[in-house]
Amino acid sequence: MVDKKNNLKFKTKNVSVFYGSKQAINKISLDIEEKQITALIGPSGCGKSTFLRCLNRMNDVISNCSVNGKILLDGNNIYSDEIDPVLLRAKVGMVFQKPNPFPKSIFENIAYGPRIHGIGNNRAELTDLVHHSLEQAGLIDEVKDRLDDIATGLSGGQQQRICIARAIAVNPDVILMDEPCSALDPIATAKIEELMSSLSKSYTIIIVTHSMQQAGRVSQKTAFFHMGDLIEYGETPKIFTQPDQQKTQDYITGRFG
Amino acid sequence: MIDKNIDQLKRLKLRKNAEMRLKVYGILSISLALIMLATLMISIGLSGYSALQQAYVKLEINVDSKKVLDEKGGFSNQKALLVNWDGIVSNSFITNFPEITKRSEKRSLRALMSSNAGYELRQYFQKNPDDLDENITIWLSASDDFDQYMKGRFNTSVDEKDRRLSNQQLKWIDFLAMEKISKLKFNTSFFVNADSREPESAGILGAVVGSTLTLTITILFALPLAVMASVYLEYFAKPGRLTDFIEVNINNLAAIPSIVFGLLGLSVFLGFFGLPRSAPLVGGLCLGLMTIPTIIIASRASIRAVPPSIKDAALALGASRMQAALHHVLPLAAPGILTGTIIGMAQALGETAPLLMIGMVAFIIETPDSFTSAATAMPVQIFMWSDSAERAFYERSSLAILFLVGFLIIMNSLAVFLRRKFEKKW
Repeated sequence: MVDKKNNLKFKTKNVSVFYGSKQAINKISLDIEEKQITALIGPSGCGKSTFLRCLNRMNDVISNCSVNGKILLDGNNIYSDEIDPVLLRAKVGMVFQKPNPFPKSIFENIAYGPRIHGIGNNRAELTDLVHHSLEQAGLIDEVKDRLDDIATGLSGGQQQRICIARAIAVNPDVILMDEPCSALDPIATAKIEELMSSLSKSYTIIIVTHSMQQAGRVSQKTAFFHMGDLIEYGETPKIFTQPDQQKTQDYITGRFG
Repeated sequence: MIDKNIDQLKRLKLRKNAEMRLKVYGILSISLALIMLATLMISIGLSGYSALQQAYVKLEINVDSKKVLDEKGGFSNQKALLVNWDGIVSNSFITNFPEITKRSEKRSLRALMSSNAGYELRQYFQKNPDDLDENITIWLSASDDFDQYMKGRFNTSVDEKDRRLSNQQLKWIDFLAMEKISKLKFNTSFFVNADSREPESAGILGAVVGSTLTLTITILFALPLAVMASVYLEYFAKPGRLTDFIEVNINNLAAIPSIVFGLLGLSVFLGFFGLPRSAPLVGGLCLGLMTIPTIIIASRASIRAVPPSIKDAALALGASRMQAALHHVLPLAAPGILTGTIIGMAQALGETAPLLMIGMVAFIIETPDSFTSAATAMPVQIFMWSDSAERAFYERSSLAILFLVGFLIIMNSLAVFLRRKFEKKW
């Protein structure tokens, strides 16, 4: 059932993930609101990326990984048998830590997703879609004259925005970002952050980040993970100024992590 | 300058010496390999280059058109069968020596012409029926001993009765050569004929076509199977005992002696499926079985070398695993797969043993024209020629080896070229 009052996009209940016999996250229950930016922070190995990858079932690819608990997207359990991960991933896009454009032309990069999902049947529609996606990703002015160039020849920041545009092109509801700026310089990071804020008007964004400043700058809500547990989840300003938990306090003030 | 104490200087010197030594060893071993290769190629080249030429004899011939043409004026095979072409050739040849009248002398004189010369003459008129009834000058093959003598490869120091040519015959050849009635000319028959009992008309074309047909089957059979198997093993197979078992066995297959694949082909393809003997189809399948493990190993390595982030990117966009593999990973792995394939093909091209078992070691005088017609392959042809008694086959096998090596060089350069070309995209 969709909980319309709070505009919840994702509801997760007691999600635990195991890699073989090793538990990576432990009974995480977290609700994510629509058209907002939710940041997941925490020290390395705390399970935040694992949790993120549960949301579009990218963990399926890892052979010995098993997921327990419930994850509801718009009220539907995404781990139920009726849900095809292929269609789920069209709804829940993902941007990775290292920019990973395909070693093909810029146009082909953006057009690939729509093509396999049957969006944009002819060349003109596809061209429109590519232009629109690049525009949303704030990249159109930089690349519109060289759509046929190889995407891997662009700068790191541009490549990452290509990846964002590529995710947008299949018209998802949610965009997952796994430390999207950790391989980028501060200027490129600023551009991506700006882009995230503007995208959050139309998309639900969940971002994993190592940088607490970044979480503070871009997100409305923040969840703090530690050793596979969700320690605290709340409004970003509150987490950063007056957290309820001592551990959160220690982490954001830099005592560990 | 950084201050160095004596100890450090000593160690630095030792290190530099060790590095120098290693460099020298490397250069030495590379030069040794190059010298050996050069020796091999030069010795084969020296014994093989003379096969590019062949002794021909100039003959004046006039053939009556009534003997070979049918009523409509076309060349009649039936009538041509009745013509004594060999007789025409020897009669014309003997006119060079009007002083010879004895039967025995005439016979040893005739032996200097190739026994295929009459056939060559017939072929000529079949192609040029307009030349019938005219006095024409035609160059026909001399016998292989004649040929070897003209090339200086005939050992005359042996006692006359142990030789294949008598002193009288040698004198005749000297005379013909002096009068420019016989000459060494470019050996066309080597390039346009299939095998023959007579070295002067034996050619490599049948074997080249046979090898090409065989390798076509090999690549059509092995490449798709091997690539599909490696995609499955890398992307779909669940790790476990069965997968491990398959993996170990693929590696074992790559190390199995090739003759075993021949035995397998003999019992399965010929025995069970009843496919034709000596056919490129069966040879190609046998060699394909042999090549599959090589391609699988190379393909898996190059699929694994593609960064997993590419696969993740495709999956995150909602591509299925098959789409991720076909659209993104395989194109990036293609150069590696291609290299593995061509190396496997080169190996198959040089392979004789499996072909022995399925009957591709055969004396076949027709150039094969289909995948099921009897054929032989280049290495087998070399093997058979080097086994023949006639000296003239010796130089022909050397030339055929040069051909084979040439093919291998072309294939390997193609592999390098294609790899460079595809790698640019990355």
